[in-house]
Amino acid sequence: MSDPLANIRTLLVLVPALPLLAAVVTAVLGPRVLKSRAHWPVVLGLGLSAIVALMLLAEVNRHSRNMAHDSKLAATGHVTLWRWTGIPDVLATPPAAAAAMEKAHTTPPRMLPFDVDVTLRVDPLTALMLSMVTFVSFLVAIYAVGYMHGDRSYWRFFAYVGLFVFSMTMLVLVSNFLLLYVFWEAVGMCSYLLIGFWYQKPEAAAAGKKAFLVNRVGDFGFALGIFLIWITYGTLNFHDTTLSSGGVLPGVLGQIRLGDASLYVPGGLATAICLLLLVGACGKSAQFPLHVWLPDAMEGPTPVSALIHAATMVTAGVYMIVRCTPLFGASPQAQQVVAIIGGLTALLAAIIAVTQTDLKRILAYSTISQLGYMFLGLGTGSMLGISAGMFHLLTHAFFKALLFLGAGSVMHALGGVIDLRQFSGLRRKMPVTCWTFLIGCLALAGVLPFAGFWSKDRILAAVHERAHAVVAGYHSSFPVYEWLYWVAIGTAFLTAFYTFRAFFLAFCGPERVPAAAHPHESPNTMTLPLAILAAFAAGIGLTLEAGSWFDSFLAESPSLAALAAHETGPAGSHLHVAVLSTVVVLIGIGLAAFFYLGERTQIDRLAMWLRPVYEASHRKLWFDEVYDLLIVGPLRILAYLLSLVDRFLIDGLVNLIGRLPVWLGAVLRPTQNGLLQSYALAMAIGVLVLLGTLVLF
Amino acid sequence: MMEFSPQHLLLWSLALPLIGAGLICLLNDGRPQRARTIALVTTLLTLLVAGRVAFMFPANGINLESTGGAFALTDASWLGKISGLDVRFSVGLDGLSVWFYALSALLSFCCVLLSWESIHERPATFYSLLLMLLCGMMGVFAARDILLFYVFFEFTLIPLYFLIGIWGHEDRNYAATKFFLFTLTGSVLTFLGLLTVVLVNFSHTGDLTFSIPKLTAALGPVGGHPMPLHLQLWIFAALTAGFAIKVPLFPLHTWLPLAHTQAPAAGSVLLAGVLLKLGTYGFARFNLPLAPEATAWLLPALLWISVAGIIYGALVALAQTDMKRLIAYSSVSHLGFCMLGLFALTPLAVQGGMLQAVNHGLSTGGLFAIMGMIHDRYHTREISALGGLARRTPWMALFMVFFTFSSIGLPGLNGFAGEFLLLAGMFQRAWMTTGPGGLGLKVIAVLAVSGVVLGAWYMLWLVQRVFFGPLREPHGTGHGHGSHDELGHDLKQPDRPLVRDLSLREIGALVPLAVFIFWIGLCPQFFLSRMAPALQEATQPAAAAWQARQTNEAADRQTALNPRPSVPVVAETSP
Repeated sequence: MSDPLANIRTLLVLVPALPLLAAVVTAVLGPRVLKSRAHWPVVLGLGLSAIVALMLLAEVNRHSRNMAHDSKLAATGHVTLWRWTGIPDVLATPPAAAAAMEKAHTTPPRMLPFDVDVTLRVDPLTALMLSMVTFVSFLVAIYAVGYMHGDRSYWRFFAYVGLFVFSMTMLVLVSNFLLLYVFWEAVGMCSYLLIGFWYQKPEAAAAGKKAFLVNRVGDFGFALGIFLIWITYGTLNFHDTTLSSGGVLPGVLGQIRLGDASLYVPGGLATAICLLLLVGACGKSAQFPLHVWLPDAMEGPTPVSALIHAATMVTAGVYMIVRCTPLFGASPQAQQVVAIIGGLTALLAAIIAVTQTDLKRILAYSTISQLGYMFLGLGTGSMLGISAGMFHLLTHAFFKALLFLGAGSVMHALGGVIDLRQFSGLRRKMPVTCWTFLIGCLALAGVLPFAGFWSKDRILAAVHERAHAVVAGYHSSFPVYEWLYWVAIGTAFLTAFYTFRAFFLAFCGPERVPAAAHPHESPNTMTLPLAILAAFAAGIGLTLEAGSWFDSFLAESPSLAALAAHETGPAGSHLHVAVLSTVVVLIGIGLAAFFYLGERTQIDRLAMWLRPVYEASHRKLWFDEVYDLLIVGPLRILAYLLSLVDRFLIDGLVNLIGRLPVWLGAVLRPTQNGLLQSYALAMAIGVLVLLGTLVLF
Repeated sequence: MMEFSPQHLLLWSLALPLIGAGLICLLNDGRPQRARTIALVTTLLTLLVAGRVAFMFPANGINLESTGGAFALTDASWLGKISGLDVRFSVGLDGLSVWFYALSALLSFCCVLLSWESIHERPATFYSLLLMLLCGMMGVFAARDILLFYVFFEFTLIPLYFLIGIWGHEDRNYAATKFFLFTLTGSVLTFLGLLTVVLVNFSHTGDLTFSIPKLTAALGPVGGHPMPLHLQLWIFAALTAGFAIKVPLFPLHTWLPLAHTQAPAAGSVLLAGVLLKLGTYGFARFNLPLAPEATAWLLPALLWISVAGIIYGALVALAQTDMKRLIAYSSVSHLGFCMLGLFALTPLAVQGGMLQAVNHGLSTGGLFAIMGMIHDRYHTREISALGGLARRTPWMALFMVFFTFSSIGLPGLNGFAGEFLLLAGMFQRAWMTTGPGGLGLKVIAVLAVSGVVLGAWYMLWLVQRVFFGPLREPHGTGHGHGSHDELGHDLKQPDRPLVRDLSLREIGALVPLAVFIFWIGLCPQFFLSRMAPALQEATQPAAAAWQARQTNEAADRQTALNPRPSVPVVAETSP
C-alpha cells in the first residue's frame, strides 16, 4: 500500500527548505552577481513556499477529514531529518512518564535517554500558521522590492528575510520543545539583525539590542519551563517515540497523553510550568511587562515591522500557548493569568496608543494591544476562546501587515517622515494608500463586516461565556473574567478611537507636507501588495466565519482535539455582545471624527483638562524609565562597583600575598647583620637577576 | 596511499611542531617571511595529522577496552626502571582529551595566520615559541603518565610567558610575571598532590607507578583502595590549587584579564582557547576520579563558586572599557558554566560542560582573533575610541556578530548545545536533590540560567558600541602614532585606504573556527558520542558518592523524626 502521507511529508520539508535556499543563494550571489536583482531568489522562494504551504493545507484538510472517523487524534505525518543528541540513560524515569507508559502497556525502564531528533510534523494548527506566514511574507517581500529599492545593502535585507521565514516556518513545524526554543531564538536573532539593519543609526542599533535582551529575559523563563517539563515528563518531544530499549515513550503532546487528560501533572507543578512558558510567550509576543521592545523595534525598515513585528514573529507566543493547550488545561490558575496578562496588555497598550504621534508607534502599540486580545482569548481555556484567538491571529496578520505597509508607503512618499504632527491630508496625493489604509483601519477597529470584527467579536463572546461558565477545579471569589470582559469592551472603544485618530490626522484635513518632501503614490510593487492585503482584510473574516470549517479544522489539531471533544457544539448566539461592541466602536470612531476632523481645538482643551492622564499615556506609562531605574541602573552600578572590587580588593589581596616573601625578608634581615660576604652574594644575585631581566626584555 | 596507524600519527603530531621549531631556528635570517612560512606549513601539517587522529577516534568507546580506554596508545619505558620508579612515556587519547587535542592544533594554525603581519620583532623566536607551545598543549592532553603530564603542563607555561613578555602590549612585563608566578605557585601544589597520590598507591600496592589510568583504577571505589575522606580532601585541595587558577575559578582569576589584555593576539587566542581548558581538563582527569568523596563533600561549595564566577564575570565584563578585558571577563563567566556542568555530575551536565569548554575555545578564540585584527588596524583596545566599524570593515563585522552569537549561546551554533545540556543537567541535579540541600542547588540552577541573559547583554553592548552607530575612529589611524608594533603596511602605500577590511588570510584564520561552530551547533551528537564513555567513567564515582551522601542524610533525617523505626528505613533513591 502506498503511503497516503508521503505527499504531506515532502511538502512539509519543502516549506522551510525553499526560503532557506533562497536566503543562501541571496547571501552568496547577492553582493557581487545579483546586486539590484537580489530580491529575485527570495521573492521566488517565498512565492513557491506559499504555494507549497497552501497545498499542504489542502492535503492536511483532506486527511484530517478522512481520518476523523477512525481516530481524531491521528498524527498526520512526521519527518525525522537527523539526530541532534542521543544520550542514553540520563534521567530516572519520573512518575508522570511511568504512569503514561503503563497506560500504553509498556514497562517503564529505570532510566530514560535524552534523545532529541530534528523532526518536523504538521497538523491543522501548523498548516494554518504556515500558510499565513509564507503568504504574508511573500507579499511583504514584493512590497520590499519597491520600498528598499536603492538601499546600500539591498541583498542583505532579502537574505535576512529569507532566513527569517525559514526560522519561522521551522518554529511551527518542529516537534520538540528544545527545537521550538532553537527557532524561537532564531527568529529573535533575525529580528535583531533586521531591526538593526540600518546599523549606522544609533537608535536602530540600540533598539536591536533591546529587543534581543528583553526577549532573552522571556527566554530565560521559557528555558526554565522547558527544563521543568523535561524532568516532569521525561522527554521534550511532542510526539510519542519508540525507545531504543523497546517500548513507547509518551511525548508531552503525543497521542497517549492527549487521550487521557489525567496523565498531565496537575497542581502547583503544572502552574509553574505554564507560568514559565507564559514568560517566554510574553517576551516574544510583547505582552506586559515585557512589551517594551516592540515600539522601539519600529526603527527597522517598515516591511520588517509589517512582517516580523506585526504579522508573524510576535504571534509565536500565541502559537506556543495554543500548542501547549493540554498543559495549560491542567492549570486553570495559569489560564487565568494568561487572560489577565492579555486583558491588561490590551488595555494599557491601547491607552498609550491614544496619544502617540508617530504613526508606526501607534501601530506598534495597537499590535501589542491586539496580541493582548489573543492572549485573552487563549486565557479562557475553552475551545471557543482558543479558536477565537487563532482566528484573530490570522485576521490580524492581514490587516496589521496592511496598515504597516500603508504607513511605509506614507514614509516612502514623505522621505522618511512619519510624525503625524508634520503632515496631513494625504488622501488626494496617495489615493490607493489612503483607501487601503482605511480598510485596514476599519478591520482593526472591528467594524462590521471587516475581518477584525468577526474575530474580535468571537474573543469577546468567549470571555463573556467564560465569565458565566462553571469550570471544574476552578473557584474564584472575584469575577475575574467578568472584569476582563469589560476591559476588552473598553479596549475596543479605545482601539476605534486611536485608529481613526491616526487615519484622520494622516489622510484628512488640509494638505500639509514637510518642506522637502514631494508626496506621490508609491510604485506598483508596493501598491499591489496593499491591494491584495486590503482584499483579505475586508473579506477573510466573513469567509472564515461563514460555515464552521475553521473551527472544526482547527479542532483536528492533536493539541486541541481533546478539548474540542469536551465542548458540546458551538456556543449559542452572542448577538448582544456583537451589538455592544459595535455601538462602542461607532462611538469611538465618532469621537475621533469629532475631535480630529475640522478645527481640532477641542482636543487640546481635553488634553489640558485631563493633563495627568494625557502625560501618563504620552510618556508610555513610564515603563522604560521604571526599568532603567529599577533594573538596568542598579545592575550597571553593581557592575561598576564589582569591577572596582575586582581591581582593588581581590587583585590587591593577590598582590599582598605576592609581597609576603619580601616582607618576610625584611623581618628576617636583622638576624643577618655583620656578614659582609652574604650581602655581597645577595647583591651579586640581585645584579644578575636585574641584568637577566634587562637582557631578556 | 600509505595507511598510518593512529599511534604513529599521534607521535608525529607531537614531533612535527618541535621539528618545525628547530627548522625555524636553523634557517633564521631575521626576517619574518621564512619563519612564518615554516610555521604555517608545520601547523597545517600538524592540524591535518591531529585532525586525522581525532576523526579516527571511535564513537561510544568501541574497541577501546583492550587499551584501558585509550586510543592511539604508545607506552614505552622512559626514565627506565630507576629504583623501581616506573615513569613511562605513555601517550594516547581518550574521550576527555581528544577534542582538546584537536582544538590545540586548530587554534595554533589560526594563530600563525593571525600573527602573519603583526609580528615584526624577532619573528623566528616568536614562531618557534608558538610551535613549542603547540607541542606542549597537545602533549599535556595526550599524556597518560603523571610525570609526563606535569612536564608538558609546565612546559606550556614557558613559551607563553615569553610570548606575553616580549610581544605583549604596554604592561607586558608585569602581566607576564604575574601570570607566571600565579600559575606556577598553583601548579607546584598540584604536583605535590599528584606525588601524594602516587605514594598512597605505593603504600597499598607496592607498585610505584605513575600511570594515570592505573592510579585512577586502583584508588577509585572499585579498585579496592579508596582513600579516606580527610586524605581525599587534602589531595583535592592540592590539585585544585593549580587547576582552579588555570580555569580560572572565582576569585583566583585576576591574572587572566591582565594576561589577556597584554598578550599579543595569538597569545590571547591560545590562552583562552586551550590553556584555560587545562584547568577544566585537570578537574575531570584527576580531581573527580581520584577524590570522588571529597568532590561530593564539597559539591555545593564548588557549584556556588562556579555560579559566582558566572554572575561575577558577566557583571564585571559589563563595566569594562577595554575590549580585551571585557572578553577576558566573559571567559571567567563562560568557564564558570563549564565548571558548573562538570560539578553537577549528571551525565547531561558533564557532557554539556566539557562540550562548552571546547565551544569556548572556538568562540572566544575567534573573538580574541578579531580583537587582534582591530588592534592591528587601530592600535587601541578602548571601546569608546571606536564606533560604526561595520561600515568600514563589513566582513570583520560579520565575523564579530557571528562569534558573538556563538558566545552568547544562540541556538544552531555551538554555544547553545553546550549551555542547554549543562543547564538541563544542573537543573536535573537540583530538582532531584531532596532535603535542605535541594533549595540551594535550585537557586544555583536558576542563577546560572540568568547568567545567559547577562552574557547577551555585555556582548551585544560591545558589538553595538564598536561596530554599529556612526563611524568613529581614533585620531591618526595609520599615521604611525600607534604603539611598538605599528602597521608599516599603510605607511608605505599612502594612497591605499587607511583601514582595510579583512584580507583573505584573515578570513582564512576565522573560517575553520566558523565551520566547527556550525558543526557542533547543528549536530553535537558527533562530538558528544566520542566524549561520553570516558566522561562517564571519570565522573561516575563522584556522582555515586554524592548519591550515597544524599541517601545517608535522608536516612538520618528519618531517624531523627522516628527515633525507633518499627520498619526498616527505605531511603528514597534517585540516581
